[in-house]
Amino acid sequence: MTSFIQKIAFLSFLIVGLNSCSKEVKIDIPGFDEQIVIDGSIETGAPAIIFLSNSKDIYAPTDINSYLSGFISGATVTVSNGTITDTLMEICTDNLPVGFESIAAAFFGLPIEQLINLHLCAYVSTGLVGEIGKTYVLKVIHNNKTYTSSTKIENPTALDNLFWREQANLPGYGFSWAKITDSPVMGDAYRWEVKNLSDLFYSKPFQPFTDDRFYNGKTFEFSVENPMSFKDETIENQYKGYYKLGDTIVVKFSKLGKKEYQFFEKKYNQIYSGGNPFATPTNIPSNIEGGALGVWAGFSPWYDTLICVP
Amino acid sequence: MKLFLFFLSIFFTFLSYSQSKYTLSGYITDAKNGEVLVGTKIFIPSINQGTVSNNYGFYSLSVPSGTYQVEFRSGIFPTVTKSVDLSKNLVYNIEIAADAVQDLNEVVINGKKGENTNSTKMGQVELEMDKIKTLPAFMGEVDVIKIIQLLPGVSSVSEGGQGFYVRGGGPDQNLVLLDEAVVYNAAHLFGFFSVFNSDAVKSVTLTKGGMPANFGGRLSSVLEVNMNEGNNKQFKVTGGIGAISSRLTVEGPIVKNKGSFIISGRRTYIDVLAKALIPDTSPFAGSGYFFYDLNLKMNYTLSKKDRVFLSGYYGKDVFSFANKESDFGVQMPWGNGIAALRWNHLFSSKLFMNLTATATDYKFQFISNQDQFRFGLTSGVRDIGSKLDFSYFPNTKHKIKFGANYIFHTFTPSSVSAQSDSVVFDTGSPQQLFSHEEALYFLDEFDVNEALKFNVGLRYSMYQQVGPFTRFIKGGIGSQDTAINYAPGSLIKNYQGFEPRLSFRWMLPDKSSIKAGYAYNYQYVHLTSLSAVSLPTDIWFPSTDKAKPQTGWQGSVGYFKNFDDDKWETSVEIYYKGMNNLIEYKEGALPGDNINDNTDNLLVYGKGWAYGIEFFVKRTVGKFTGWIGYTWSKTERKFPDLNQGNIFPAKYDRRHDLSIVGTYTLNERWTFSSAFIYATGNTLTLPTSWYVQEQNLLLNYGARNSTRMAPYHRLDISATWYDKAFKIKTDAITGQEIKVKKRFRQNWAFSIYNVYNRANPFFLFVDQDGELLDGDFKLAVKQVSLFPIIPSVTWNFEF
Repeated sequence: MTSFIQKIAFLSFLIVGLNSCSKEVKIDIPGFDEQIVIDGSIETGAPAIIFLSNSKDIYAPTDINSYLSGFISGATVTVSNGTITDTLMEICTDNLPVGFESIAAAFFGLPIEQLINLHLCAYVSTGLVGEIGKTYVLKVIHNNKTYTSSTKIENPTALDNLFWREQANLPGYGFSWAKITDSPVMGDAYRWEVKNLSDLFYSKPFQPFTDDRFYNGKTFEFSVENPMSFKDETIENQYKGYYKLGDTIVVKFSKLGKKEYQFFEKKYNQIYSGGNPFATPTNIPSNIEGGALGVWAGFSPWYDTLICVP
Repeated sequence: MKLFLFFLSIFFTFLSYSQSKYTLSGYITDAKNGEVLVGTKIFIPSINQGTVSNNYGFYSLSVPSGTYQVEFRSGIFPTVTKSVDLSKNLVYNIEIAADAVQDLNEVVINGKKGENTNSTKMGQVELEMDKIKTLPAFMGEVDVIKIIQLLPGVSSVSEGGQGFYVRGGGPDQNLVLLDEAVVYNAAHLFGFFSVFNSDAVKSVTLTKGGMPANFGGRLSSVLEVNMNEGNNKQFKVTGGIGAISSRLTVEGPIVKNKGSFIISGRRTYIDVLAKALIPDTSPFAGSGYFFYDLNLKMNYTLSKKDRVFLSGYYGKDVFSFANKESDFGVQMPWGNGIAALRWNHLFSSKLFMNLTATATDYKFQFISNQDQFRFGLTSGVRDIGSKLDFSYFPNTKHKIKFGANYIFHTFTPSSVSAQSDSVVFDTGSPQQLFSHEEALYFLDEFDVNEALKFNVGLRYSMYQQVGPFTRFIKGGIGSQDTAINYAPGSLIKNYQGFEPRLSFRWMLPDKSSIKAGYAYNYQYVHLTSLSAVSLPTDIWFPSTDKAKPQTGWQGSVGYFKNFDDDKWETSVEIYYKGMNNLIEYKEGALPGDNINDNTDNLLVYGKGWAYGIEFFVKRTVGKFTGWIGYTWSKTERKFPDLNQGNIFPAKYDRRHDLSIVGTYTLNERWTFSSAFIYATGNTLTLPTSWYVQEQNLLLNYGARNSTRMAPYHRLDISATWYDKAFKIKTDAITGQEIKVKKRFRQNWAFSIYNVYNRANPFFLFVDQDGELLDGDFKLAVKQVSLFPIIPSVTWNFEF
């Protein structure tokens, strides 16, 4: 919510000052230092999944092959829940275990035939899954360097109500609405994800993350747009962003911790203020020790299905 | 405190040696309109003694009894010599008139001759208002702040920006005074125009080094802007109509020769033009921008010893942007209000007093609405204060000043409100900070001998933060935040300190001089910026129990020499500055972080230093006049919590800064002028690398301010055409043709800004285009420029 407001503020500044010329330049930007990027998450009832890659120089090519060839393999990754320490299994797309092909294809958005020729790797835990209330310590060893972090799966917060409201000027279409009562403890943070019943993976709206600094302890309603509709070529422009009468969707409303939220808040802030000179150049704070970029986040989801009828 | 009074008493005992001396004192005014003449030199050649008239036109000179030829030299009029018989204290008021025909060359030589090498005012520059009006003007508006940015040691914030940096110090380190009242943001919205309407301004003086003890509260400089008093002899109207704005000034006597008033107004009409260009059906209909300012001043001479002045300024900017299609709108009201009431009183011919009461109110708001959301941000400062200043002229060897200042500050750093339909979000109560600031000072400018002149002063400043105030204390993760509430009027924190000031001038046998100065300063109010570009959302806030005052010292040495009978003035100055408790926002701070938190919880502190060398060559007389100023300088910062504690260049660290300004007076009808500026590019922080997380491409930034923009350079030219000053009339009786001075005068000013249309960098950013997984993703570093070539025309008149 707050980031949305900030987004308006920044957007308007952008529009305001600058009816001017811009051109591409190539100036010297010194100080490139390659860093490891650790992108890890663990959820209730699901294994931990970690992606490792390297950061690239600003002028490095950004075509898809460069992106795909940036993934790291051969690292040692462990996750511990206090009693068990599990060494994660490395799964690469050119060597996928049986049954994983369709999942991997959907995740990357690439056809299986292309995937099996690429060396994209992820680390998956086989010996433990996420449990509410537990703290998970991550350790990554690569190129003789060690990186550590810890995250906790908090108690989930259930939405009081999840409903569809028809848009007055657009009959048959509307946003999804939710009613939430935030706990009086300051620092609760949430992530909103949603998918059509038939989808394999969840999608995120424009502002998936929010924290309670504006609404701590309050009960209120808010709306969220339909992110899947933007990628759907069959939907007309005027209906993009809305749920059609009769749609069935699954909302995944996850709780996350304060430190992890700071990563996502700054991340979306950077994404949406990209190009804005009035924004301060912010490095996204990582919760990982050792000099890595990225985040190790535990999510505590709460699920609900919504059929879009009044 | 005791130390201070001790010094005071020593100086008074020094002065009590007796001799049969009498005082010649009085006011110097312009015969044409009654305006006081500031900085006029009163000189007695036979005994080689002199003094200078102060900001109110008052002078006082104590010499042995006798008959003297006294010369009155102003910069504008021919020198007037009067024979004065001084056998008792004499009040001698003089009105100086311009002769009908004057030789421009001669005037300036006699007037300010030798000022460059003579005065101890090192690091001080005075702008000549009449000369400024012929320089190229941005969008046709003559702007005093843009002109001072052409002087060595002074650089501008960015393209078109109003803030200015003096010798590596931040934009908040300049004390800007309008008729003795403090101005916080001397600019209109976006910073393209300053609040000073040049038609209402009498004098502009910038002190960049060797700040004397009567000024304080800012580390880097003092910019004194004094308004015209108003013609006290006859009514006069001056004005101008330009491409985007117009001005009108009306002045005249309240009681002839005793009191006068001046009202000056200015308005831009970009909104009217925009309305004409944006059709009603456009989704952007309803967008527009305009500003207006109003300057008002009245003065009245109550008696031979008393004079009162009332000055006021009010300015407002209104900007609105609407996009009906997406139901999105922004309004940014911005305003400055300043008032000053002053009373001059002459206790005797040797003791002059000025008592001022001032009020300043600066406010900025940002309001945006999108569908059912409404977001508002307010920031402002309100000051109420008073100043008591005495000038004491015991004899020609000493000029003493002493006095006291007091200001009560109310700061609203940023007050945020947000609501969605009827649900009002809790953004905390608007935080206001209250404080008192006081100062006492004493200074003496004295001659040790003919060659050596000293200006020694001591200032003692004090500051108290008082309640009501809530101090938020952030709990760690998992623990609650707490707050301490202070009752109204309770003392939360106080700071105080001595600020010694010293400068001297040593005149060498060849009439060149060496000047040096040292000053130590405290600064209790601060401006922090969230962004690489100076913005209206830069927030002013005061020192608190957490945010200590900034402190700084400056040492400077200069060599001054005039050539060719003072036709050329040259100088070289070196300076070094050290600053402590400088303030910046924490890395990654966002405007929304202020909610339910104190602004100063988001700040970090560090130190900085600046050093440089300034070269200045000025041609003062003749058909061709102008100056060249070049500065080589470096300014760096070191903050333990920023940039991993490594030294980084300040945002406005400019290695080279060159200005070449020239004016050519072809004849009475045509004047041409041009200005060329070259400056090293500003620093900024750009990303050095990119990485991917959850299929989003993210940027990682390098060392703070490690990238430099391309150099800034620009050429402006202007031409001014004047109508004939005289008309020919046939005398009814003699039938001869006589020249009569015209009452209605006009001129046309043509200006071209950025003649060779250079795309100067305003800021740089990294542009992301396309989708990573679609294979069409591109990252590019882009440079945005603001002003291309801009011609303008203004028609000016007076009667």
